[in-house]
Amino acid sequence: MPASFRFLDDVALADLAFDAEGDTVQEVFEAASQAVMEAMADPETVGAIWTRRAEHAGSDLAELLFDWLSGIVYWKDAAGVVFSRVAISVTQAGAEWRLAATLTGEPVNRATQELRNDVKGVTKHLYRLHQDNGRWRVRVVLDV
Amino acid sequence: MKLHTAMKVNRISDEIWEIPVTQKPGMLVPARIYGTESILQAMDTGVFEQVTNVACLPGIRRYALCMPDGHWGYGFPIGGVAAFDVRSGIISPGGVGYDVNCGMRLIRTDLTLAEVQPRLDLLMTELFRRVPAGVGASGFVSMDRPSFDRVMTKGARWCIEQGYGWHRDLERIEQGGCLPGADPSKVSDHAVQRGMNQLGTLGSGNHYLEVQVVSNDRIFDPETAAAFGITGQDQIVVMVHCGSRGFGHQVAGDYLKVFEKAMRRHGIAVKDQQLACAPFLSEEGQDYFSAMNCAANTAFANRQVITHQIRQAFAAVFGRSAEEMGMELVYDVAHNIAKVERYPEGELVVHRKGATRAFGPGSQDLPACYQSVGQPVICGGSMETGSYLLVGTTRATDETFGSTMHGSGRTMSRTQAKKSIRGEQLQQQMKQRGILVKAVSMSGLAEEAGFAYKNISEVVESVDRAGITKKVAELRPIGNIKG
Repeated sequence: MPASFRFLDDVALADLAFDAEGDTVQEVFEAASQAVMEAMADPETVGAIWTRRAEHAGSDLAELLFDWLSGIVYWKDAAGVVFSRVAISVTQAGAEWRLAATLTGEPVNRATQELRNDVKGVTKHLYRLHQDNGRWRVRVVLDV
Repeated sequence: MKLHTAMKVNRISDEIWEIPVTQKPGMLVPARIYGTESILQAMDTGVFEQVTNVACLPGIRRYALCMPDGHWGYGFPIGGVAAFDVRSGIISPGGVGYDVNCGMRLIRTDLTLAEVQPRLDLLMTELFRRVPAGVGASGFVSMDRPSFDRVMTKGARWCIEQGYGWHRDLERIEQGGCLPGADPSKVSDHAVQRGMNQLGTLGSGNHYLEVQVVSNDRIFDPETAAAFGITGQDQIVVMVHCGSRGFGHQVAGDYLKVFEKAMRRHGIAVKDQQLACAPFLSEEGQDYFSAMNCAANTAFANRQVITHQIRQAFAAVFGRSAEEMGMELVYDVAHNIAKVERYPEGELVVHRKGATRAFGPGSQDLPACYQSVGQPVICGGSMETGSYLLVGTTRATDETFGSTMHGSGRTMSRTQAKKSIRGEQLQQQMKQRGILVKAVSMSGLAEEAGFAYKNISEVVESVDRAGITKKVAELRPIGNIKG
């Protein structure tokens, strides 16, 4: 099954919740990243003139994903950009997980981009990354 | 009575309900929920679970409270109020909210609907241009780190020094728009980088700038209204709802992580990870309080810069100065905050999350102009219905640590609202009803449709009947700006 995400109708009324899943750790990271990006703007309407490379490492996979998704929100505010694509590599070396990612996007432009929610952050409410029947799944609630 | 909880809920009065300490292991005080029976019946399970979780936190005094606009939140319910002993109690970011000092501001004018209506389109366009909203918006104030440090410590006072407002504005802002004890060294670089360019911006979600009208038949207390500068006669007022933006969120997120570790060291166990807390007088507790005050001051400054831009927009459209149009501040009040206040029990750290301070007449914390009537309380409804101006009472001071409701509260998720209506369709429907909406995001607009919110009038009636605030006037929207 391909990696996927879907926004949820009946969770966190005032905010924005989604489920993401994939066959591998890397796939669920990619799907969750795509959901955060799409919560803020339609990537199809965003150019590719800004890039930022990021690296994170840690033994707790859920914390690694949480910090990475929070990093996407950080760059939205700190650089004033929205995102068109992300390339992620997640590898394991002993007990440590390593994430290397490249975010691509462009400065916010009301005239050309379909802007959505100004996500303020990723929350720990209902946050759970787990493997279920061989499939990696995570539920995330974004504070908007 | 059918409720979304199996807990025993006792009727104290028609508007006050109590969950005894026997209903959950670890409760130190009872939980009290304000609201009519029908409001209580509509409350989600989260309210009952969360308000009783709060009742278990160390050092809590009297009651864990929830206002009638309460609904599920992170840690505390939205609408939650709790006070903790300064010496033995805690402070929790989950009791303040991620958007530190999210709050309401109301500006009066001498203009009438008849004067504004012909130029409403132009006015909303000018406001939309001058007050950036939506994803990644940055304000017009250029800011370097030393300047931002001064914003964090001085709040709205910094704005007045820079010419963004009038000196007399300060006395009509909660605590003069400047909370003491703000220490920028307790704020992370990440938070600063997120916040530095956002001064004077609205954000998105349920934040807005609204042009409203006050008609004579919607003034409930003419004497208090007059003291607030509200005279009716189709008078135009402007309401602003926003907070500390990404900056406040980063402060809250940073300290939730700190507190998760600190709790183990201090031997504190909580029922929900989002209630992470630390003893108020511990190093971690004081660091968070200092950082939270920085975020709160930044929010006061944010609303002050927006006020300056609103006055400029009105002056440009109507060709008169803001002073000539009587654009005085009615009040600015936080609804996501923790403050040290004195009560009969002593000094308490009062957490208000989605709850508004509502001090009654005679409070030393009120400016001279409001001493005899009480504090203005500004409550925002959905963009389609209307909002309310209320006044604080001594009963609130006695019963609810001087606190009341803050808004109407959602009943439908954002995703579901978007499936029910398109933004363009909603914008057109509202125009036909005489409400002009400018929005950065059409999908964001659909999420804020009136049907996604509770009926604010019922919520207001319940706090009025409970006596913790009294109705002064209803404010009807004619123009709205959303992110």
